[in-house]
Amino acid sequence: MNMTNSRSADRPAGLLAAAALALAIVAAAPTSAAAAAEKWAPVASEKLMQLPGDFLRKAVDNDFARSGLAQELVSLDEQVALKRSTLADLQRAIERTDDADIRLDLQHQFLNEKRNYIELMRENQEIRRRRAATKDKLYERLLGNLNRQRRATTPEKAAFIAKQTAARERFRASVSQVDEQFLTSAAASQSRYAREYAQNLNAVQELVAAINAHPMNAAPAIDGQPVTRAEYLRQLVAENQGDLAIIDQERAILGHMAKLVSLDALALSEGIAGEVYAEIDIDDTAEGPNRVTSAVEFFTTQ
Amino acid sequence: MTILKSTSFGIAAAVFLASLAAQASAGSLENMERERAMMIETMLSGDIDNTQRQGRLEIARTRLVDLERMVLRDKTLIGKNQPLVRAAFDNYDLTFVVHASVEKNRSVADHWLSEIGLSTQAIMNARTGRR
Repeated sequence: MNMTNSRSADRPAGLLAAAALALAIVAAAPTSAAAAAEKWAPVASEKLMQLPGDFLRKAVDNDFARSGLAQELVSLDEQVALKRSTLADLQRAIERTDDADIRLDLQHQFLNEKRNYIELMRENQEIRRRRAATKDKLYERLLGNLNRQRRATTPEKAAFIAKQTAARERFRASVSQVDEQFLTSAAASQSRYAREYAQNLNAVQELVAAINAHPMNAAPAIDGQPVTRAEYLRQLVAENQGDLAIIDQERAILGHMAKLVSLDALALSEGIAGEVYAEIDIDDTAEGPNRVTSAVEFFTTQ
Repeated sequence: MTILKSTSFGIAAAVFLASLAAQASAGSLENMERERAMMIETMLSGDIDNTQRQGRLEIARTRLVDLERMVLRDKTLIGKNQPLVRAAFDNYDLTFVVHASVEKNRSVADHWLSEIGLSTQAIMNARTGRR
């Protein structure tokens, strides 16, 4: 049996199948990612609201790290890293080989691995999107709770509190005048309450200073600038919106990759090789080992 | 398990703090109002002579200074929108009568009478008549 002829006969069917698979990537639904998304459901509790400074963000991140969704993300990251090295190996092998048949087989394999890479990245993106969306919802809920608490203070109550504040201010302004008059009065000596209050006041002031300096009592801050809790939550919401926008952009990149894989598959099936079909101009400032943009080279070269 | 433990410890601590706050300042306003009422009664009483009145007023004044301060420093009254508390803070001059009188360089009696609208001039101008 002639091996070359047999391989040639099988080739169109195999390549068409590869093309069909590559095209199917675009419509593939990330079912495993959707199932994993159920594994992280943080609650906008009162305890979370009370956390000082940046501890709110850290608590949410820690909660995510303990979830099944995080495990899924770590596992996918590892798979993506492995797939990237497989792609690099295959690309090197294609460049080195002179045998046309082996080259064709390797190209076929390369296409298949690219398809797998896209699928893994799609799942990875879906989990990251769910994480950002869940965080976004959580921070929105916390912000809503905060606003509800603020609205609970009616104008009448606010006016009453203002009156009490004014009374205390007036008292503070006159307290030394009153003390002076009472101490000069022969009839009146300082009361036990006044003496003990003055003694305790020092202790209270020291403790208050210690409480204010305690790291768990730190006010929320953005870039070192102290901000209100509402402002801090709005900042977290904005950061998550940014993450979601970046993930959307990365999804578009994956779409381009999928399209290139299908074009490569078609080209392979037509026997066209050695051409570059498209170029993707990507501004990738935050380069990481598993960033979707770090694999673009596998898709833009054959 | 650790989370449960830390949560229950946090709740226990919060309850303990709340109970401490409640114990610390129960009835400061009521005590002050009682003392103030007795002082006004002494001021208006016709059953005692002037020397007795001055002596009693001096004692009441000294006691009221502390009681007024206790009320003004009482954090449990902040935002406590109850009729007694509202009425107390509605008129600083009448409620914290000792501090307000020192502020205005008047005796407590003069200050109180003037705040409720009774001046020497007004009394002198008054005519006896049937209502």
